[in-house]
Amino acid sequence: MTEHQARKLASLTTPLLLIALLAVFVLLVGAFGDRSLGRMAAETLIRVTLVVGFWIFVGNSGVVSFGHAAFACVGAYVSAWVTLKPEMKTLLLTGLPDWLAQAEWHVLPAAVAAGAVAAVLALVTGAAILRLSGIAASIATFAFLAMVNTIWANWTPVTGGTSSVVGLARYVSPWVGLGWAAAAIVVAAVYATSASGLALRATREDEVAASASGIDRYRHRLAAYTVSAFFCGVGGALMGHFIGVINPDGFYLSLTFLMLAMLVMGGIGSLSGAVVGVLVVSIAVEGLVRLEKGVTLGATEIALPAGSQEILIGLAMILVLIFRPAGLLAGRDLSLPAAWVAGRAKTTK
Amino acid sequence: MKHLTLGTALVAALATPAMAEDITVGFAIAKSGWMEAYDTPAATAAKIRIDEINAAGGLLGNQINWVESDTRTDRAEAAKAGLDLVDQGAQMLVVSCDYDFGAPSALVAEGEGMNSFFLCAEDVKAGIQGVGPNAFSSSVLAPVQGATMAEWSYSKREARKAYVLEDTFIEYNKGICTGFNWMFPRLEGAEIVGRDTFKNDDASIASQITRIKELAEEPDVIMLCSVMPGAAAAVRQIRAAGINSLILNGSAVDGSYWLDATPDLSGFVVPVQGSIYGDDPRPEVEAFNAAYEKATGARPASQYAYPGYVLIDLWAKAVERAGTLEGAAVTAELEKMQDEPTAFGPRSFSGELHHQNTALMQIIEITGGKPARVDEWRISEPVPMDVLIAK
Amino acid sequence: MTLQLLFDALSLGGIYAIAALGIALIFGVMKLVNFAHGQFIAFAVFALIVPSTDAVAVMGLGAAPALVLVPAILAVGAGLAVASEYLVFRPLRNASPVALMVASFALGVVIQNGLLVAYGGRPKAISLWPELGKPVALLGAEVPMLQIIVIVSVLVVLALLAVMLKRSRIGLEMRAAAEDFGMARLLGVRANAVIAGAFALSGALAATVALVLVAQTGVADVRMGGQIMLVAFIATVVGGMGSLPGAVAAGFALGAASVALQAALPIEARPFRDAFLYGLVILVLLLRPQGLFAAASAKPRV
Repeated sequence: MTEHQARKLASLTTPLLLIALLAVFVLLVGAFGDRSLGRMAAETLIRVTLVVGFWIFVGNSGVVSFGHAAFACVGAYVSAWVTLKPEMKTLLLTGLPDWLAQAEWHVLPAAVAAGAVAAVLALVTGAAILRLSGIAASIATFAFLAMVNTIWANWTPVTGGTSSVVGLARYVSPWVGLGWAAAAIVVAAVYATSASGLALRATREDEVAASASGIDRYRHRLAAYTVSAFFCGVGGALMGHFIGVINPDGFYLSLTFLMLAMLVMGGIGSLSGAVVGVLVVSIAVEGLVRLEKGVTLGATEIALPAGSQEILIGLAMILVLIFRPAGLLAGRDLSLPAAWVAGRAKTTK
Repeated sequence: MKHLTLGTALVAALATPAMAEDITVGFAIAKSGWMEAYDTPAATAAKIRIDEINAAGGLLGNQINWVESDTRTDRAEAAKAGLDLVDQGAQMLVVSCDYDFGAPSALVAEGEGMNSFFLCAEDVKAGIQGVGPNAFSSSVLAPVQGATMAEWSYSKREARKAYVLEDTFIEYNKGICTGFNWMFPRLEGAEIVGRDTFKNDDASIASQITRIKELAEEPDVIMLCSVMPGAAAAVRQIRAAGINSLILNGSAVDGSYWLDATPDLSGFVVPVQGSIYGDDPRPEVEAFNAAYEKATGARPASQYAYPGYVLIDLWAKAVERAGTLEGAAVTAELEKMQDEPTAFGPRSFSGELHHQNTALMQIIEITGGKPARVDEWRISEPVPMDVLIAK
Repeated sequence: MTLQLLFDALSLGGIYAIAALGIALIFGVMKLVNFAHGQFIAFAVFALIVPSTDAVAVMGLGAAPALVLVPAILAVGAGLAVASEYLVFRPLRNASPVALMVASFALGVVIQNGLLVAYGGRPKAISLWPELGKPVALLGAEVPMLQIIVIVSVLVVLALLAVMLKRSRIGLEMRAAAEDFGMARLLGVRANAVIAGAFALSGALAATVALVLVAQTGVADVRMGGQIMLVAFIATVVGGMGSLPGAVAAGFALGAASVALQAALPIEARPFRDAFLYGLVILVLLLRPQGLFAAASAKPRV
């Protein structure tokens, strides 16, 4: 086995390691945590699905997108449209076409449909937006997000407008979250090592050299954007079925920045960075929230003042960025050492 | 924050230590984030009622205890807070004021077969039509507030030509306008002469005002369906443009704290459940205002403390009648309530509606920068269900 | 009617233009999209009142006469911006633009939640210069005094800034830095001074927006500034990243487009105004990807 083959094999262990990491996280929470911690685990895994989806485009292309929360929004509503009880829909969402108002799908095909609709929307809008480069593309994705949000908040007969839609079956347990997070990780890893993924990363590193080598940047970006939107759509659907209530406001700027912050904290350059970023931020937030509620240590009870969690997490983010500007993993991936994977690597070298 | 701590300390001091037989009420409310300013007064009022009940011998012979969990003005945290409270043994959940932020916790209660009460939700979905069969709100539906404004201004201020200015920011605003749009054109000779929309955080509503000024004559009333801070900003800009029509709004802008935005404001009217200004004709209302001041050091800043008091009152009565805390049984008793008297006017629930589709409302008018109760009004017929739902 | 619309467009566009300028200045010198700019605005607004979570706001600085108040609030804005630069952005100077952006967002979260803890979540009323709330007749249109003041003060600020950028040494250096920062440094531009200067100016511009907003709306809310920041950010890009006149022009253009849409759309479509506005933005970007007034540095050189 050559060194190159050994490295390639080693890189295949990355998704497996990441999934194992998440599985250990779920098992630990299940073994030692209360119900509220179980909720936190499920929420974290939904975020992994969202952020890994987000990474497929942002990480590989190097273009910051502000539009992915819109795909989560669309996904959440698609899943609501096909799974809500027909009585509820005829009462509250009067503008739905008849076949949709009568639909009562199982949640799994609904999640897939949520992703698929988001992906189609990405393909159509991306075809225009991704002709732009750099910051102009970012702003265009932002304008897209604002458009989707405005439409969703006011298209009352179909989306319920600013009023939350309730009644989504709350089926998302940590294990369901783990399943989708694992799927997202596997697809992201496969895409990253595919010809399209490699070509896209080449354009990220050096646009001119890549185009001189005959790489069609636009096509690969559009492919990544579409795949990426699929998992954001699924993530949105899961988020809706996790909380049970959806509102356009829940899929707007705060979600956009949360996704971006998790990705940058972990390190935008690698898939492991995306996963680790979500885990670290989610666990840190949960820890601070619990500290704010009060923790008994021996005889003394320690509690942070109300509202300090947001301030502390903001400060922590700034500090991490100052000391590790490229994120916690700084573009590296978790993988087993090449030598282990190759077994007799030393002798063949 | 000072008031919060004082209030909590006082209420905590009054609460007796937990015993095995104690009844536990859970409060899934925002203690941080922007919702906190709305949840804390209503929750404090609820705790005042709990203390009164405890002092009078308790509920079903047991003392009522309460536990709370912070929703952080966040939907996902609200669901966690609900679970957290159930784990702490809560037998009924009081959830965040707003429908959007309270629903995730109320759904948890629904899942456990428990009752849940929104602190002040005014959207019909915060009940059977949305959250589920055991969810209630004791506040007055937003369309009722809009309809009250329509009928009162028509009858008492000869309003014939109205202009509707809707802030599309939240569902509450749309509800106010829905009620007004339903009621006003039904009245003999009354007409809505124009409509426009704006967004709460618009830096300027100059073009909306230009449209009003282009009307052949100034409208008698402007129905402003908005909440703070956009409402205060809109009022300031409307008056600065020299428009002197009577401005109507919903309960959400009750309170005098925002009046500095338009000094010497006159001709501004809101409907409320009770007056915080010491001039409510019902002595119970003033007695509550005094109790609130004693507990927190200040009088209520707006009417939104009142629904918190009322909800505990109604729930406790239903529990006494049902003889149990079990959700479905208490719901059945609540649904039997027809014009059940409370300190803030009669309340009704039914098998179709867990909200007030009509209510006796106090009319507060601001004149020369001073708010005062000028009248009371109950709409001539309840807002029908199809208007409430098909917004 | 059309004259009235023009005034409406100028007063809204003016606010956007000043905010866009504040963002473009910083972007020009350090490629930072400062998402905390909205919170700078909110901070300057709240600096007018005494910190307290009570419902009724007590004027602190806001009670001072305008001659003291205006420079003081501008100094508060500038001070906050310079402090942010020193504590957060200077250590990050070599980080990627994305990391910078996320850091500015985190800073915004810190400022906003700090305000929330200090002032509570309930919006507050601020009576700043209430005597401005009177309409005056001007060229056949009846215009609120406030609107005229807004337009005049925007024009004054822009004129002052133009003079400063054109005539002073730091202004020259800033323009050079916005054009090509690397080259400017090689030619002896003082990086720290220019960047600190850009932040101070940007902060003062945020404070200007704050004063105009408060005079216009009479309210303070921790979430205010966010929407303006986003529109300003878009204006900066549409104007051509790094181009200061472009940012101003695009700010005015966005304000005008918003007013025109509000006036022209039928009532059913009016709630969707912003969707049309942002659709227009995408269209403009597709037609002119480098923005209306592209800076020389906007195009990557090979």
